[in-house]
Amino acid sequence: MPDDAWDDEQLMAALQEAMRAREVVPASFIQTGKNAYAWHNIDAELAQLTYDSASDLGLAAAVRSETASIRALTFTSPHLSIEVEVTGDSLVGQVIPVRAGAIEVQAKEVATGTIPVDEVGCFAVSPKPASPFRLRYRSADGTDVVTGWITL
Amino acid sequence: MRDDPSVVALVERAAGSDQDAWDEIVDRYAPLVWSICGRYRLSNHDREDVGQNVWLLLVEQLGKLREPAALPGWLATTTARECLRVVAASRKSQRLGTQLDEAVQFVDDTVIDEEMLMAERNAVLRAAFAELPPHCQRLLGMLLSDPPHSYAEISAALAIPVGSIGPQRARCLDRLRRSSALMALCEVTVGGPGGESRA
Repeated sequence: MPDDAWDDEQLMAALQEAMRAREVVPASFIQTGKNAYAWHNIDAELAQLTYDSASDLGLAAAVRSETASIRALTFTSPHLSIEVEVTGDSLVGQVIPVRAGAIEVQAKEVATGTIPVDEVGCFAVSPKPASPFRLRYRSADGTDVVTGWITL
Repeated sequence: MRDDPSVVALVERAAGSDQDAWDEIVDRYAPLVWSICGRYRLSNHDREDVGQNVWLLLVEQLGKLREPAALPGWLATTTARECLRVVAASRKSQRLGTQLDEAVQFVDDTVIDEEMLMAERNAVLRAAFAELPPHCQRLLGMLLSDPPHSYAEISAALAIPVGSIGPQRARCLDRLRRSSALMALCEVTVGGPGGESRA
């Protein structure tokens, strides 16, 4: 037992603080966290965020800028890239190298229907999905790639 | 506490497909995410958003965390980054200047570290409490309730003589103090009673 172990009063105070720290957290906040596990083990290759116009400008500039109305993001996986641009209320994107397939928008615990990707790799989502969301691209040849989570 | 073996085990199980392990991670660390959001003075709505992002990111990282034991640090840093993003976005939408609030400016690494260590300490205390025998949990729970129960109320509720409440409290606290988790915690400088009181 270390010399500086808690005495009874310190232990009670620490315990009370620990209980209170847990009690102030709303149940919904915890449930949301638990629900996130629904996205675990999806059998798709992850495309990491490799470019984000918002961080490119830097935080200060992003806060200041009124003109940066287009948000451009690039996600890269070992096999392909997905480029996304958000303008106003819609989202357009392209799969590179260009190829057809389908995009699924995943938000929270639900996935929306799929959106076609045309033969030059382009797709559009309108209205833009609620944040956070991610895009999963699949094609007939078995390609299956999911982007990191996007918050607009 | 970075080497807490239980954290490593939880992360490893959750990286498999163990929802219970994941739930325990969330139960244990949601207060950390929540309290860091508080440091950034986020609204409850924004806190929910940040929380969601943080957990989604963690799901993605499970199995890729280089040091599972460093999970609390990862969570603290990621939460802070998500909070900053929310703060920046809301300032942008309100067309405010670049000056972040003083409150936010003062949220530096030291503050985040403090929150992390406190959250670890609290998590260990809650875990140790949960392992106490039921009669100890009931007694300490009543003594800790806010507003506190009187000894007479406790005596009536738990059917024990008023005179034995004090000794039982001491015995229960002793069991708590002897729990392995708490013993480990006390060996960590900041984890002890008021880290500042060390000479």
